[in-house]
Amino acid sequence: MGIPLGYVVRQTLANLWRNRLMTLAAVLTAAVSLSLVGGALLLRQGVNRAAGVWRGGVEMVVFMQPNATAAEIAKAGSALSANPNVARYHYVNQARSYAQFKQMFASQPQMVANVSQSDLPPSFRVVLHNAAQDAVVGGAVAKISGVKKVEYNQAGVKAMLEVTSVVQKVALGVAAVLLLSAVVLILNTIRVAIFGRRREVAVMKLVGATNWFIRLPFMLEGLIEGMAGSLIAAGVLVLMRSAVGSLIARFKVGVLSSVVVPASEALSTQLLIVGIGAAVGLIGSAFAVRRFLDV
Amino acid sequence: MIRLENVTKTYKGGVDAVVDVSFEVNRGEFVFLVGPSGSGKTTLMRLLLREEVPSTGRLWVGGKDVISLSKGRVPHFRRNIGCVFQDFRLLPTKTAAENVAFALQVIGRPRHVIAEQVAQVLDLVGLQGKGNRMPTELSGGEQQRVAVARAFVNRPLLMLADEPTGNLDPETSKEIMRLFERINKSGTTVVMATHDAELVDAMRRRVIALSGGKLVRDELRGSYAEADSEPEMITKRAWLHKRGSDRRF
Repeated sequence: MGIPLGYVVRQTLANLWRNRLMTLAAVLTAAVSLSLVGGALLLRQGVNRAAGVWRGGVEMVVFMQPNATAAEIAKAGSALSANPNVARYHYVNQARSYAQFKQMFASQPQMVANVSQSDLPPSFRVVLHNAAQDAVVGGAVAKISGVKKVEYNQAGVKAMLEVTSVVQKVALGVAAVLLLSAVVLILNTIRVAIFGRRREVAVMKLVGATNWFIRLPFMLEGLIEGMAGSLIAAGVLVLMRSAVGSLIARFKVGVLSSVVVPASEALSTQLLIVGIGAAVGLIGSAFAVRRFLDV
Repeated sequence: MIRLENVTKTYKGGVDAVVDVSFEVNRGEFVFLVGPSGSGKTTLMRLLLREEVPSTGRLWVGGKDVISLSKGRVPHFRRNIGCVFQDFRLLPTKTAAENVAFALQVIGRPRHVIAEQVAQVLDLVGLQGKGNRMPTELSGGEQQRVAVARAFVNRPLLMLADEPTGNLDPETSKEIMRLFERINKSGTTVVMATHDAELVDAMRRRVIALSGGKLVRDELRGSYAEADSEPEMITKRAWLHKRGSDRRF
């Protein structure tokens, strides 16, 4: 038997309207918690992009001349291999440098347009056994022909990575608690809806309505509440992004401009948020239906 | 239609509601289920509807082994059973016609079928022209007619009625009974639990009596009270009178 969609939708909307205050509380809690999750995710994305070169514990980057010969590059590589202070390193050619550059400056297309692949230097990303030795190793490598310059991971970058990781953990922790309360609020809203319709439910069971027919409006109600919260959160993320962007522009902190994630990347985070919202709604209503509907 | 073999239902906590009951009801029969409160009538009804499952024994309804019925099949099983209760169980926010239509809506019948069948069944129960009334605008007897219409609109093979006249005055009760008779004549099996001795005695149909969860009597053309003590126990007053004369105990 097909389930008449019109009926299910009408019932769901009627339920939502009947318990509108509780629905509002559930939606807002979902929205706040999902905004936090989204904000934390965007922060991580932005910081990772800004500090892209320094990911994976890289402490030192050896930039070659953009026109360095293969022999020069091989020589620099073998010098790094021979150095006892070097734990490991990997080579980033011009093509990959360009790809990373495009990603970092995706929010500034005019910048990307003015730079071509051949302008960018190939580089070695180096991880040391002991970070304190960076100047020693760097000094030795800098003398090799074809090496343009050696950059060290400044304390500032390191601190920023650490601080953001703590901020992110705290935000995600708070968000987890709030998500749980969103689930509980949705559960309770559905429970009240079930109680409000107990006569109908009893009659439906009596005359042989299928279990899914009885459950569906309640499940849909939870789904809509979760999704509504997540859509608000997605909107909040758009505002957050533009607020951070305009702050950075206003104070002319060009270094941080790549912290603002481009819209395409933010979109994937927003979709994830909507997905989590849908899951929160479904989990809450599924618990309520299982526990209180008894079909 | 119905077949019970040594059915026992023990609730959690060890209360034996139905004990080792066996009987059979053929298609088209009209059966009264009598017995004092707590004798297991309602539990028996719940077993027939598969709201409960027997603790032991075997049970068939409409040719289906009710006990082995999977949870997902229960709704489809119930579509062949109509149910009427003492408290009507109408939805107060819906009109009489909407209450009846609801039963068809929720099993996914198309709208034009619903409109036609609701009108038909309201005629059948004698409520023509009252479909637009709210339950509160109807008398008790009319409300019970709506409930009967709702139970019958899907043309079930079996009608279960649990004290359907319990809230009605004697005259209205008789009308409702006539309605059940008509439904029975159309070929639907009727099983009715009742306390109404007068109605049972007037109908002279099969009577199954329960006491303490046990089947104590099963008569084809029975009365409410036991046949051999009928002269003394046919009415409550006579029974009390007899008690009065036995005061020496």
